[in-house]
Amino acid sequence: MGSSLSLFDIQLYNLIHFFDDQESVQKALADCPNLKAIHDKVEQTPAIKNLEDSNTMSSRGPMRLSKTYPHPQQQHQPPAQQQQQQQYQQQQQQHQQQQHQPSQFYQPTAPYPPTEASPNYGGDYPMPQPQIPSGYVTDYNAPQSQTAPSYNNAFFSPQTAFYAPSSQQQQQIPSNQPMPGMEYLSNNPLFNVGLNVVEQGMKDFTGKTVNMLPTEMKKSISSIKYYFAVDQAYVFKKLCLLLFPFRPRNWSLAYSADEPVPPRVDTNAPDYYIPLMSAITYVLVAGLVLGTQDKFTPEQLGMHASSVLVWNIIEICVLCFTFYILNVQSKLRTLDLIAYCGYKYVGMIAALSSYLITHSLFVYRCSLLYVSLSLSYFLVKCLRLQILPDTGGSQPYGSGGSKRRIYLLLLIVILQPLFIWYLTRHLIVV
Amino acid sequence: MGFSLYSLIEAALLCVNAVAILNEQRFLSKINVDNQNYPGAGAYGNDHQNAGGAKQQLLTLIRSVRTVMRVPLIAFNIITILFLILFG
Repeated sequence: MGSSLSLFDIQLYNLIHFFDDQESVQKALADCPNLKAIHDKVEQTPAIKNLEDSNTMSSRGPMRLSKTYPHPQQQHQPPAQQQQQQQYQQQQQQHQQQQHQPSQFYQPTAPYPPTEASPNYGGDYPMPQPQIPSGYVTDYNAPQSQTAPSYNNAFFSPQTAFYAPSSQQQQQIPSNQPMPGMEYLSNNPLFNVGLNVVEQGMKDFTGKTVNMLPTEMKKSISSIKYYFAVDQAYVFKKLCLLLFPFRPRNWSLAYSADEPVPPRVDTNAPDYYIPLMSAITYVLVAGLVLGTQDKFTPEQLGMHASSVLVWNIIEICVLCFTFYILNVQSKLRTLDLIAYCGYKYVGMIAALSSYLITHSLFVYRCSLLYVSLSLSYFLVKCLRLQILPDTGGSQPYGSGGSKRRIYLLLLIVILQPLFIWYLTRHLIVV
Repeated sequence: MGFSLYSLIEAALLCVNAVAILNEQRFLSKINVDNQNYPGAGAYGNDHQNAGGAKQQLLTLIRSVRTVMRVPLIAFNIITILFLILFG
C-alpha cells in the first residue's frame, strides 16, 4: 500500500482502538498479524506519532477530509465512528486520538461546525449551506452536539437526499457528504465497509483499481434514490393533489443549487413511490374485481402485473421517441417522465374502487371521467412549466418550437385517460 | 390485454427487423430528395424547430439503427428462431 495511508487503514485503526484499554488492543493485535501491521503503520506515521504525544486534538471537533484525497470513497460511516462518539460522551481519554487523522493528509476544522441545518425533515434531509466552503468532502458531527441529528453538507445533490434508516436509533448521525459522483450504495455502513475492503484488496492484488459496480450503475442507482425520498406528508398531499388539483396553487418546482429538490421537501416534485405503489395496488384491485365476478385465478394477477409493465414500457418508449423526433429539448428527464406517466394508476384505482363499491356502470363512467379530467389538469399544470419554453422567448423560431411542444404536451395528456380507460374496461362487466 | 414481456420483445424485434430491411434506393432516397432541397434545414443548431427537423431526425434515427443493429440483429433473430422452434 505504500507509505501513504488510505482511509481503509484509518478505519481499521479506529476499529482496533474501539477497545477501551490497551490490553485488549494488544491482544487483538497479537491475534492477527495483518492487523498489527496496519496498526503499526498508522501509528508510525509521523503525524499521528506527534499527535499522540501532544493531547491537543482531544479538544478539537470533527475532522474533515481534503477534497484531493484520491481514494474512492464509498462511505464514511464505519460503525467504529459511532462507537467512538459514544466513547466521547463517556470519557475523554487518550484513546480519543484515534480520530486524529494525520495532518498532512487531512485538514481539521473548527471544533463545532454549524449543526443548525435548515429544516430537517426527519432529521436527515440536507439543505445547502452557503457558509461552508465547497472544498470539504466529509465531516461528522461534533461529539458534544446532542441536538437532532443533521447532516452538514457542502453540496446538496440528489444523491444525498434519502433516508438513513439505521441512523434513526442512534443519538448522533455521523454526517456523510459524499462528493457528487460517489454515493452510497446502501445505507448499511457494513455493506460499504465490505465494499471498501474488497476494492482495496483488489487494488493490492491486481495493481489496478477495479470498480465493484460500473459508474453508470452507481449514478443511476443514486438518481433513482432521489425519487424515493418521500415521506408521509408528501404522499398524502400528492394523492390529494392528483384527485383534486383544481385549487389555485403554485406549480413550479423548487430547485436548490441547480438540482431539483427531493420530493420530501417539494410537493411538486415527481417521485416513484406513488406510481410504484399504485401500480401494485391496481393489480390487487383488479384481482379483487375479478374475484367479485368469479373470474379470478392467480394467473390473472401475474398477467395484470406484466401487462402493467408492458404498457408502461410502451408508453415511455412512444413518448421518448416522440421527444426525439420532434427534437424537443426540455428540462424534463426521462426518469421524470416515467414518474409522471405512473400517476395514472391512482386514478385507475379510484375508478375501479368506485365500480367495486356500487357495481353501477354509470358511477364507473362518471368516476372515469372525473379522474381523467383531474389527471389531465394535473399533468398540464405540472408539465407546462417543464416542456413549454419560457415566456421570455429567446429563440427566433420560438413559435414553431412551442407549437411542437404544445402538441407533445397534448399527446402526453391525452394518452393518460386512454390508458386508464383501456386498462380498466376489460374488468367492467355489467 | 394479457400482454407479456415476451410479446413486447418479439414486437420490438420485428420492428427493428422492419427498419433494417428498408430498401435504400426505393424508399429512403425518396424521402431524402425532399430534404436535399433545403441543405441547411434542420442541420443547424437546436433551436431550429421546423418540420424538416422531424424528417431529418427520423432519417438519422433510421440510418443509425441500421448501422448499429445490422450484425446484432442476425444474432437476435437466430436466437428467437431457435427459441420458437424449441418452445413453440
